[in-house]
Amino acid sequence: MTSYNKPLPIINDDNRQYWEYCKKHELRMQKCDNCGYIRYPTGILCPRCHSMDAEWVKLSGRGKIYSFVVYRISYHPSYADDIPYVVAVIQLDEGPRMESNITGIKGEELKIDMPVEVCFDDVTDEVSLPKFKLVK
Amino acid sequence: METLKDKAAIVGVGYTPQGKVPGRTSLSFHLEAARNAISDAGLKIQDIDGLLVQPPMGDPSVTAALVAQYLGVRVRFLSALDAFGASAGCQAQFAAMAVAHGLANYVLCTYGENARSGVSEYGTALNGGQEYGLFGPAACYAIAARRAMHEFGTGPETWKEIAVAQRRWANLNPRATMYTRPMTYQDYYDARILVEPFRLLDICQISDSGRAFIITTAERTRNLKNRPVYIMGMGQDHPATNPQQATFLTGPTGAKLSGEQALKMAGIALKDIDACEIYDCFTYTVEVELMDYGFYGRGEGKDFLKAGRLGPGGDFPLNTSGGLLSEAYQMGFTPLTEAVVQLRGEAGDRQLGAPTGTREPEIILVSNNGGVMQTHSTLILRK
Repeated sequence: MTSYNKPLPIINDDNRQYWEYCKKHELRMQKCDNCGYIRYPTGILCPRCHSMDAEWVKLSGRGKIYSFVVYRISYHPSYADDIPYVVAVIQLDEGPRMESNITGIKGEELKIDMPVEVCFDDVTDEVSLPKFKLVK
Repeated sequence: METLKDKAAIVGVGYTPQGKVPGRTSLSFHLEAARNAISDAGLKIQDIDGLLVQPPMGDPSVTAALVAQYLGVRVRFLSALDAFGASAGCQAQFAAMAVAHGLANYVLCTYGENARSGVSEYGTALNGGQEYGLFGPAACYAIAARRAMHEFGTGPETWKEIAVAQRRWANLNPRATMYTRPMTYQDYYDARILVEPFRLLDICQISDSGRAFIITTAERTRNLKNRPVYIMGMGQDHPATNPQQATFLTGPTGAKLSGEQALKMAGIALKDIDACEIYDCFTYTVEVELMDYGFYGRGEGKDFLKAGRLGPGGDFPLNTSGGLLSEAYQMGFTPLTEAVVQLRGEAGDRQLGAPTGTREPEIILVSNNGGVMQTHSTLILRK
């Protein structure tokens, strides 16, 4: 695992909790105590009502593909061997959308609205990335 | 309420060598563009008493104070201003407010960056997502474009018309980096795909260059050498939302509210606009912006956007310098300065009016867009 050479998330005091849950293979996001909005990316206040109180709710990890791109050239040397690879935006069932990778499928087979579910990729001892696979 | 309509004018523009210009700092491009704008306006260095700087993305050391220092100007109105690609239009609006209220007489606005030969930020993750390999603005806009393909059936068939029309304009513009390189529809389809669904020719250039303009009051233009270009209307709308949560990837973008405000201030309708200089970081950006300005309805771009009408000789002239796609990438300064040159009648072979078989330009719409459609500014300029 020490050989993982791709960029890692930039973890700071505002988002550390999110990545701690990911390490436990839980996809959790902040649900505003005041208005109920589930926000992503992680942040100290609700962009809808500015309440600073939130609960880390566990999401189902299910959703569907909102949009996606297929990289045909490498923008970063650590991805050179992965070309072509997919980056998608996933519409989660609970409301938020997030960027991630879709594993186990080629770009030409992907379609918008395909159902997906989360699967965690333990890329280092400290970081597990929430990725997605098709729901069969 | 009294508005800023016609209160301020653009009286000078400055260019630099552009394209691949190695061996130069970003600061040097700010300075050369500023010097040329001051000279173009017929002003003295000492006349400049306001300075607004869009800092280069790749070099935060280029501050407004540093540009002032090296230009040798002592100003009473100074700021760095960064709304990404929408900055030039925002700078013009702040400058117009400043001169209208006597906070400065002549506000110089600059941008410059050695993005092609020096440090480029255009391959990095500007909106997060580096842990998933989401690098570069092209991919973020390609996500929006793919969604638009799904929602209203656009795609390469529409985008090729924009790319080819703008290249035809660039082929009339000696300053354009693509001046000597024609583009056919086949060239467009043959271009390699970088980030699907975008081909190379859907994506703007990365340029080394600088650009600047100067704003003063309508009254002061009488003593200056150039034909003034008046700011009739202005607007901004910055949806700002994280691109993943954005509801505006397929419109309405900030162009809608920004454009409505600018048109209202100008007191004109869309039919009064003779040409459009639209921020074209990607072909799809042009399609969605023109839609949001109201030139056509949702998904009707594929019928409206035809190279024959967008290019020289057409009834809807678009991005007449070649734009960011085919002239040079100078953020919002590319569309803004081109509108000024056209309204001054100094555009040479690409001049709107009789030389290119188009309408005589009286009024030009300028759009600026930045981030992943997170910022937007609009100017309506007139002779």
